[in-house]
Formats: sequence, C-alpha cells, structure tokens
Amino acid sequence: MASKFWFLTNLGLKKKFKTKWFLIANILILLGIVAIVNINTIISFFGGEFEAKNEVVIIDNTNIATDIFKKNMDNTNTLIGENIETDIQISKEKEDKVIKELKDTSKILIVFNSSEEDYLSAKIISEGTIDVMYYQVLMQSLSATKTEIAMTKTNIDKEELAKITQVIKVDRKILDEEIKSEDENMEMIMSTVFPTVILPFFILVIFLIQMIGAEINEEKSTRSMEIIISNVSPKVHFFSKLLSSNIFVMTQGLLLMIYGGIALVVKNLFGVKDASSSITDSIGQIYDALNATGFMDKLYYIVPLTLILMVLTFITYSLIAGIFASMTVNIEDYQQIQTPIMLVLLVGYYLSIMAGMFEGSILIKALSYVPLISALLAPSLFMIGQIGIIDITISIILLLLFNMVLIKYGLRIYKVGILNYSTDKMWKKIFKAAKTKEI
Amino acid sequence: MLKVKNIKKSYGKVKAVDGLSFEVKPGEIFGLLGENGAGKTTTFRIIMGLLDADSGEVTLDGKKVDYSMTDYIGFLTEERSLLTKMTVKEQIIYYGILKGMKEKDIINKLDQLLEEFEITDYKDRKIKELSKGNQQKIQFISAIINDPILLILDEPFTGLDPINVEMMKKQIEKLRKNGCRIIFSSHQMDHIERFCEKMVILVKGKVILDGYVKDIKNDYKKKNIFVNGDVTEKDFKDIEGVLNIEKQGEDIVIKIKDNSVTDKIFKVISKKKITKFVEEEPTLNEIFITKVGEASGK
Repeated sequence: MASKFWFLTNLGLKKKFKTKWFLIANILILLGIVAIVNINTIISFFGGEFEAKNEVVIIDNTNIATDIFKKNMDNTNTLIGENIETDIQISKEKEDKVIKELKDTSKILIVFNSSEEDYLSAKIISEGTIDVMYYQVLMQSLSATKTEIAMTKTNIDKEELAKITQVIKVDRKILDEEIKSEDENMEMIMSTVFPTVILPFFILVIFLIQMIGAEINEEKSTRSMEIIISNVSPKVHFFSKLLSSNIFVMTQGLLLMIYGGIALVVKNLFGVKDASSSITDSIGQIYDALNATGFMDKLYYIVPLTLILMVLTFITYSLIAGIFASMTVNIEDYQQIQTPIMLVLLVGYYLSIMAGMFEGSILIKALSYVPLISALLAPSLFMIGQIGIIDITISIILLLLFNMVLIKYGLRIYKVGILNYSTDKMWKKIFKAAKTKEI
Repeated sequence: MLKVKNIKKSYGKVKAVDGLSFEVKPGEIFGLLGENGAGKTTTFRIIMGLLDADSGEVTLDGKKVDYSMTDYIGFLTEERSLLTKMTVKEQIIYYGILKGMKEKDIINKLDQLLEEFEITDYKDRKIKELSKGNQQKIQFISAIINDPILLILDEPFTGLDPINVEMMKKQIEKLRKNGCRIIFSSHQMDHIERFCEKMVILVKGKVILDGYVKDIKNDYKKKNIFVNGDVTEKDFKDIEGVLNIEKQGEDIVIKIKDNSVTDKIFKVISKKKITKFVEEEPTLNEIFITKVGEASGK
C-alpha cells in the first residue's frame, strides 16, 4: 500500500508540474513580479519627475552632531544604494517655534541632545508619517553619528563599547493628532511583511483550495474515483492528494521567492542610475531595513516559527478543501461550498493588513491563535511587537490540534463523500459520516 | 469461490440490498439482473469493499475481500471511469500500478490486449479523443489488465457495436476458461442468456428469482407457439389456457399457460392446412418482465 501511496503522490506531482500551463503561468508570474519590483523604472521610462528632495531641519543642542550627521547621511545613502536627496538646514530657533513652522510642510525636525547617560539622543518630529525607507536612512545615520561622537569623546573599554553600540533612543512625535504612530507600523507591515509573506501565502492558499477541489471533482465526475478507491483506501488516496498538492504549492512559493530575487537583479542592472550598485546592495538594503526595526535579532526564531505555522495552515486548508470536495458532485458545487473557506481566509488577510491599527486589542490577539487565520495574522502582529514567541507557539499548538481533529473526522466524511453523487441532504450526510467509527 | 452471504444495506429507510446471497465458482459466469435502482451497483460496491454492508459478508476463496485482495479483482463500472485527459497508455499504467503490477508487465499486457481489440494505434492517444466504443474497450482492458481471478462487469456492452460486442465476449470467454469468476450485469437479456450459467433477479434489493438459467427457463411454464397457415386468431381465442394471441409478421404467436394447452392447439390446427408449428421456450426477457412485474405489482 505504501508503494501505491508514493505512486499516487508522484503522479499527482507530475500532473501538476508537467503541464504547459504550469510553464506559461510561471513565465507570466515571473514577468509580473519583475514588473512590480521595477515599476518605478518602468514609469520613469515613459517620463516624469519622481525624486523630490527631503528637507530636514536640525536643532543641535550638542554643537558637534550636525556635521557628523550630514556626513553619515551621505554615507548611508551610498550604502543603501537609493538616490535619496536631503536638504539639511540648521536652525538656531527654539524647538517650539520650529515645530510651529512644520505645519503643512513635509519638513522633518531633528533635535540633538546629549547627557551623561547617553552620548546622543534625538527627537524626530514631523507633520505626518515618514517614508519607511527614508526613516531607516535617518535611523542609521543617527546611530553612526552617536558612535562617532562617543568614540571621539571616550577611550573605549568594554562597558563603553556596549553603550556605543546600543540602539539610539528616539522619542518619535507626530504632531498631527489624526495620524497615530501605528500608521508607521502599518506602513512597515504593508512594505515588508505584506508583499514578502502575507500576499504570496494568501494567493498560494487560494490556489491550494481550488487545486484540491478540482482534482477530486475530476476523479468523481469521471467516476474513476470508484476504480481508484477499489484499489487503495480512501486514507491513502486522501493523504497522497494532500501531500502532492502541498509539495506543489510550497515549490511554487519557493519559485516566487526566486522570481523576487530575479526581479531584484533586474532592478540592479537596469533600474538605478548608480552603476556601482549591485545585488548585494539590494540584499543589504533589506538587511538594513530589518535591522533598523530591531527585527534581525528575532529572525532566527521567527522565520522557522512562521514557516511551521504556514505549513500547518496549508495542511489545514487542504484537509478542509479535500473534505468539502469529497461531498460535492461537480466543480460548480465545489465552487459554492468553498465560499465560506474563502471568506475565513479573506478575514485573516484583511486583519493581517490592518493589524497595526488595533494595538492592544485583546480580540485581535485572540484571533491570532485561531487556526485558519493565525498564519496570516500572527506574523503581522509579531512584526509590530503585539505578540511574542509564546503566542506564536500557542497558535502552532492549536493549529496542530485542529489538524488532528480534522484528520480524525475528515477521513470519515471523505470515505463516504467520495462515492456520494447526490447533493441531497448533504450536511446531514456529512454529520452522519463524521459520527461513524469505522474508516 | 466467491461467496456473498446474506448481505443487507440500507440508505435511511430505503433497503438497497435485502438479504442477497449467491456463490460464483471458478470459471462460472453469474448474472445479476434488475431494474434501475434494484441494488446491483450497491452489491458490486459491497463486493469491492467500497461500501460496508450493514450485515452479511463477502469472501473470496475463504478470505474477506479487502485491500489485500483487490489486486486480483477486475472492476468495470457502468459509467466510464476513465481520466479523459490521460493517454491510453498512461491510464492503463495508472490503474495497473494501483493493482500492484509493475510498469513493464502492464505495457506488455497492454500491447497484447490492444492488438486483440484491434486498437494498437490508440496507445498514445488521449482518451477524450476516442469514440465511446473505443473508450469502453479501454475501460474493459483496464479491468482485465491484471488477469483477475474475479471480474465484475457492470453493463459491459454499453456503447459497443455488434462487432466490438463479439470481441469483448471472446475475451470474457477466454477469462472464464482460465478460471476467472465473472459477475455480470446487463439490461440486454440475450447477453445474460448466452453467457451466464447462474443468475439472480433483484427487485428493490430483494431476490425474486435465482438459480441456473436453464432451470429457471424450464420452470417457467408459459410458452409461445408460432403458427403459420390457413388459420386466423379467432380459431384459438376460445381455447382454455391461451393467455394472449398476436400477429408477428406472417405468424400468429399464441402465448400459453403451460404444456397441457399445446395439445388443444394441435387439435385445432390438425384440421387445417399448416406450414409452420413451432413451440418456443420463453425468452429471459419475458421471464424478467413477468417476474419483475409480479414483484413490483405492475
């Protein structure tokens, strides 16, 4: 029976990979990703001005930070590879007066201070939010400035070194009361977690649900299911289908990452004016972005935990899709019955996008434990620091238990469902099948 | 030997199979007859282990039929159970491997069978490109690719022209000679009459007639007498035991209650000029219609 399981799994994979549609779809996806990543270059190609200068006003209470900061801004720009231009003005006015002048402008006020406890601290004040990338440039430049000041002021011993390398404390204020600081978190989610994690995952889950439904319904509607099930148990058939479909979507996910890499290479080759820029700059840029948010320290455990959560969620959705598909007679029926699954997925998707808006919400935190949406919601909440490693672990445990329950009762339904060719009293049949003990 | 012992299966209040028992010995062909919805497909599914009977048991050579046995069973469903996007070769390899066969053996056997069915050119053609008749042949090949010891054929001749029916019959006969037990369902009674030694008629899941075909026909007393000559239908209408008289071409067909009526008819025609007098046994079709009609009160 084991060899039949692997045969069915291999056959399922061949059916998915060895098609011209797989090739065509992937070429289109690759072109799409390259186009999205290089959208600025594409738009610029057709003309227009997109590079506005940033204006920064500095009040330097330390008297030494400004020049170092200016130099570091140039260095960081070069390091990141972005052509971000900044016009830096030094103000001798009082902080309150300058703050008033910020009204209805895009200017950013940076106030430098120092104390015995800290070589350099800064306030960053603006009317609205600051572009994530530019904010990272500022943060890196500030950190470098602090380090340089500290090094000139002290003879470095171990303790001093620790102080120097400590991340700069920033008292961030947004004057417009209608804009909350979560909006910047939101921007972070939208610019980093969303395109790299949530959106591809969401698309792959939809793909998985539809693929399993279509395959099972094809076998049912052609009645080949009867021949298959007369030779292998429903359990073997179900799990082989699940395995091949999950391997397929995970491979597709991997391909999406590779396409993302190709898109970055293309961007570096054709998209920036600085000829010295390379792919390493782009990777460095991502690294810097993550580092500026303090995310790098958590990366070694958040990546595996998120992956586990996602793999388990793929399994959950494929189990549900398989069970529902077994109860339907044709693909049209399946498309109707899959609507509730899609809705749940959509709820998770929107919650993950809006996660930053609900800081401190117990409901949102609780929802991040809920199987089916936890893989979408938890990474977003984690990125903005609303949940921790324990919460993600709880989500994983709950998802695991949920999958076990689905397997136990789902197999009973599947066995009855795959040979059911009538939609009459379908839910009654599902509940009756779930109660049967033998599978 | 295949033993089906008192199997029962209900769907809610509906009894799909109600106490069905029969045996099929090696080299025997068994006919399972019944109207649509009589319980034939349910019976096949129970034998194949696709459905669990509420009670009763099915054994093959003394062992319960389960997934360790299905490698030796062939099953042809009433509907086409083929994945139409596959080629013939891919499809047969698929089903063959599910029967526990090796790919090399499957291909060898497939080549042989395609030749016997005169469709060698279709080996690499997609199933959806084939005609209904050829699809049915491929389905039949998929059912016998493993040289089964038990073959279940649910309406095997559907969609086949007479030439292809003969080809398939030859294959069935070959399998029978090799000791395969064959269960057969068909709406075409002439096929059952020609093939099956034993049969069962099901009505609403219940057995209303079973036994050897020969005995069933002998026990069925009603007969038909075909008469042609200087006679009219009026000459026979007052004879006791005559059930029906009708004209079939030049012949008058007289349906009689039993053998005792034959003498009375013979007395009438002995005084006339007669060119034809033939007494025929009832067809299985007649028996089926009568018995099913009686059982279902039609």
